[in-house]
Amino acid sequence: MNDAVNNPAAAAPGPKGTGRVVLGVSCTFHEAVALRAHLLEQAELPGPYVIEGGAVEQIDTAGVQLLLAFALDCLERNIHYTWQSRSAALDDAIRILGVGALLESPGGMA
Amino acid sequence: MTLDLAQFHDTFFAESNEALDSMESALLKLSAGEVDSELINTIFRVAHSIKGGSATFGFTEVAAFTHKLETLLDELRAGKRRVDPALVDTLLRSCDLMRSMLAATQAKQSLDAAGTAALSAEIELILESPAEAPTMRVPALPASVPAASDPATSSGPPGWRIHFAPGPKLLRNGSDPLRILRELARLGAVESRVDAKWVPPLAELDPEECRLAWSIELTGDIKEAAIRAVFEWVEADCVKLEPFGSAATAIDATVMMPAPKFLEPVRPEPEPAPEPKPAPETAIASPVSASPAATMLMPALSAPAAAAAAPSATAPMAQGDHGSIRVSTEKIDELMNSVGELVITQSVLNQLAAPLEGREAHELRSALGQLERHMRELQESVMRVRMLPISSVFNRFPRLIRDLGQRLGKKLELRISGEHTELDKTVLEKIGDPLVHLIRNSIDHGIETPEVRLAGGKSAHGVIQLHAYHKGGSVVVEVGDDGGGLNRERILAKARERGLVAPEEELSDERVNNLIFQPGFSTAEVVSDVSGRGVGMDVVKRNINELGGYVQIYSTPGKGSMVRIRLPLTLAILDGQLARVGTEVYVVPIVSIVETIQVRAEQVSTIANRAQVIRLRDDYLPIVRLHELFDIEPEHTDLLDGLLMIVEADGTRVGLFLDELMSQQQVVIKSLETNFRPITGFAGATMLGDGRVALILDVPGVISRFRSHETRHDPAREAA
Repeated sequence: MNDAVNNPAAAAPGPKGTGRVVLGVSCTFHEAVALRAHLLEQAELPGPYVIEGGAVEQIDTAGVQLLLAFALDCLERNIHYTWQSRSAALDDAIRILGVGALLESPGGMA
Repeated sequence: MTLDLAQFHDTFFAESNEALDSMESALLKLSAGEVDSELINTIFRVAHSIKGGSATFGFTEVAAFTHKLETLLDELRAGKRRVDPALVDTLLRSCDLMRSMLAATQAKQSLDAAGTAALSAEIELILESPAEAPTMRVPALPASVPAASDPATSSGPPGWRIHFAPGPKLLRNGSDPLRILRELARLGAVESRVDAKWVPPLAELDPEECRLAWSIELTGDIKEAAIRAVFEWVEADCVKLEPFGSAATAIDATVMMPAPKFLEPVRPEPEPAPEPKPAPETAIASPVSASPAATMLMPALSAPAAAAAAPSATAPMAQGDHGSIRVSTEKIDELMNSVGELVITQSVLNQLAAPLEGREAHELRSALGQLERHMRELQESVMRVRMLPISSVFNRFPRLIRDLGQRLGKKLELRISGEHTELDKTVLEKIGDPLVHLIRNSIDHGIETPEVRLAGGKSAHGVIQLHAYHKGGSVVVEVGDDGGGLNRERILAKARERGLVAPEEELSDERVNNLIFQPGFSTAEVVSDVSGRGVGMDVVKRNINELGGYVQIYSTPGKGSMVRIRLPLTLAILDGQLARVGTEVYVVPIVSIVETIQVRAEQVSTIANRAQVIRLRDDYLPIVRLHELFDIEPEHTDLLDGLLMIVEADGTRVGLFLDELMSQQQVVIKSLETNFRPITGFAGATMLGDGRVALILDVPGVISRFRSHETRHDPAREAA
């Protein structure tokens, strides 16, 4: 289960309506429904958003696809997001799946 | 055993025509100055595929012409020749010629030999002329490089381009593209690029479906079998392999990527597109692009016939997209008819069950309710099969605008929105011509010349706007322009001159605007071959009315005009209100009904001892006594005893006087024209649950019939 879903405090909005996406240890097909719900919950906040991906140990295409959809929504809504941290496993998946350019917000890394 | 190639002909013609539509769209983009490799490759690919198919099927004239065209396109592709307006014009005419050649071949008619010879000679002349300095560099198209099938014989580091467009169920099946890409990385150096244009917004994304596709470059001396093994658990038609030998060739995902088994792309390209250069003459800002289908041409050639055809990059993809099949419209119509009959049977059952009592009767009615829900779902499913996006009609307009703009010396920009709005194929087929009339009219009469526009403080480019959207149970199509708008004084003067309006009569703007829909009405001082003869707008209105739709026109002087067309989603079934007059039951389309009221005496006024109107809020509406109009015996003749149904069409409201309002139900429309003859005021007939036939009212027709009925029975005229 996604940590953010288990720990509402971790997913609490930041100051001034800033969304805070906290990725759990596992972001795979099995956690996809919960991860999507968490992303949608954060997306309801006006933004900008901060994504914490430092804890990710397992991620697959389903997880990356959800992050991509979130990032594309941000792009379309012209809302910035920043990566506060990205684990090696997350970086590796992003690189191999060729989504690096799409997951780089104009805000870049915090 | 010999293979009968004729069985593939229809598919070949259908797909060739679709491909030519893509070619035309790409050429129009070239004409707008948007020169890029994707466009050139799309155009080349169409010519290449049509040539291959035509040669296979023995359509030698088509094959010979497209061969010449392909040679010219090859020079463009190689950057040996410059793209200029004259060349684009030749290519557009080639596109038209191929379309007419295919149509003639399909109809087994003789081809336009003179036209073909003339255009062939023109192309040869271009080919003989010295090629100008290259202005662009276009990467080689895989369709033309069958020889590169052996990576070992190519120069540079060998490798493979892999196009991986998995179906949406891939993740649910336990496969993970990330794992696949990791395995590929064990075989050689991997560079991958994702195509995310099929990823919907997060709120609509099914997290268990894969909506991504990849273009992968795998460098290394790798056996094809090793790559195939990595994709062992993936459907074969989701993966396309192409060997390459030159490390200098870059990945071009947009050129190579086959469309995955999704519907239309749901996202624009994430990278901001470069600003298109302003066109020298006619700018066409249309979202029409080389469709993903352009990369999957000619699946018909996947049949054994393909083996004999020219090698094509599409061949590996042509092993059959099992996600879709091509079905003749006749079969769908049969299905729709069967659903229609079921709807009638269901209403018969409802009628039979209505008087029954007791527990069983209650259960029967409950089951019938369930049947009705399923029937509605079935009907909606079948209707969806018949639905096509209106882009198939809109796509023809960039060309029309370009050509008319050139001929009339006007600078035009076409803006299209809502092109994915779907409506019934039959409606689509009939809406094209009215839209052509409206657009021609806007360009000819609405949009001013660049000089006039600039003098009036407008941009030199006139804008034609096409917009489609769903509203209620209808589809609305709007054709607008930012031209001079309708000239009220001129229209009124012309109408008075023709006796359509009495000299002293004052008309509202709405009624003045509607005068342009009168037969033969034109204020154009010069009759051109574009418009001005006064045939057009009345035909537009009639055609739309025949489709069960309505037209309204809005205009602001100096700012422009907009024609709004409201169309039914389908012509097969409608939601109707049953209404009784005497012993007759009529069906009134619910979409036309505004309200139904009981009349109070103080609301009614009589004009000229005959015509009656009802005051409804701040409006006076004519009262149409259906029994008089249709010459039948009513139950009530006193307005206070019956009901008045307020209906609206083309912006006109009238009150229909009825005896009784009955139930609402879906009715299957049976054409009067096909089964009997057209009658003004009736859109068709239907079978009711009790087996009776009921006529379906055509509200615009009823209003028109009422007006001529009133004129005939005008006491003033009768006295004269």
